[in-house]
Amino acid sequence: MSITSDILRGHTEAIILSHLLEQDSYGYQINKDIMKKTDNRCELKEATLYSAFRRLEQAGYIRTYWGDETVGARRRYYSITEEGRQAYQSYKRDWEEAKLTIDQLLK
Amino acid sequence: MKEKITKHINELFRDAPKTRRAVELKEEMTQNTIEKYEDLIGEGCQEEDAFRIVVDSIGDVTELFEDLKDRSLFLLPEEQRRKRAVLKAAAVGIYIFAGVVFIISMVVSEMYYALAPEGGILGLALTALICIPPTCMLIYAANMYPAYNKKEENLVELYKEAAHTGSRERAIRTSVSMLIWLVTLLLYFAISMTTQRWEITWLVFLVGACAQMIEVLVFNIKHTGS
Repeated sequence: MSITSDILRGHTEAIILSHLLEQDSYGYQINKDIMKKTDNRCELKEATLYSAFRRLEQAGYIRTYWGDETVGARRRYYSITEEGRQAYQSYKRDWEEAKLTIDQLLK
Repeated sequence: MKEKITKHINELFRDAPKTRRAVELKEEMTQNTIEKYEDLIGEGCQEEDAFRIVVDSIGDVTELFEDLKDRSLFLLPEEQRRKRAVLKAAAVGIYIFAGVVFIISMVVSEMYYALAPEGGILGLALTALICIPPTCMLIYAANMYPAYNKKEENLVELYKEAAHTGSRERAIRTSVSMLIWLVTLLLYFAISMTTQRWEITWLVFLVGACAQMIEVLVFNIKHTGS
């Protein structure tokens, strides 16, 4: 479990990008999706999530805008940019390669 | 209970830098946390437990604060700072040169007074001329603070802008004051040398003080105007 959470933390940015590929989303929604996909095993700390958002924003991989909710507080949405898509693709390739290498070494 | 969450997050952000980005992050965090809390309540969680869970999942926010700091307003980029230093050093050098020219011209005009009685005035004019470029350089250096571009009309930004123009204006005012006193000093010697009435020419300094007061007045009027 500790390996999983360590690896997860190291890939926070890629995980966020992967979520934004399909549709724009906001912090809690992304975290909920992560929990759902991992059967409640994994959840990101908000601090981790938000610092990843800031880094992605600074790199120009995501854009942010405020939603216009009519009820309740407004949400801050994120959307992926073209650069973000490219970064995600190259990240994915790297990860596949790394996965293969680790698998080979651990056999 | 929602107030309790808001209060908790406010507490977390107490030491955060007071920037627009920090305020936005706080709003974003509060909104997401409350939404999560409501979901937990919907799933049948007790209020106290739900509160503990959401607070627990926030984690360490201090690392976030580092990103939220805006760069210091008064810090100039390294290259500009160096340029300023060179300008200032050169200006001081030229002022000293002007002083030397003044003294030499006085000595020379004293020695050859019979040949050219207007030599003293010429030397003085030359000195004043030499003083023009370094003064311009100092004023230019003072104006090298980049104009602060505000992103949004809010109090923090307005304050920053005010603080910024403040430091710029201070620099200009210093230059103007220096100029006034320099001219006064030159006038004092010029008038004294030509009229030879040293007992009364010191009044020039009073005129200089007047000019200084007028300068202060002008800047203050400009301020109330804007």
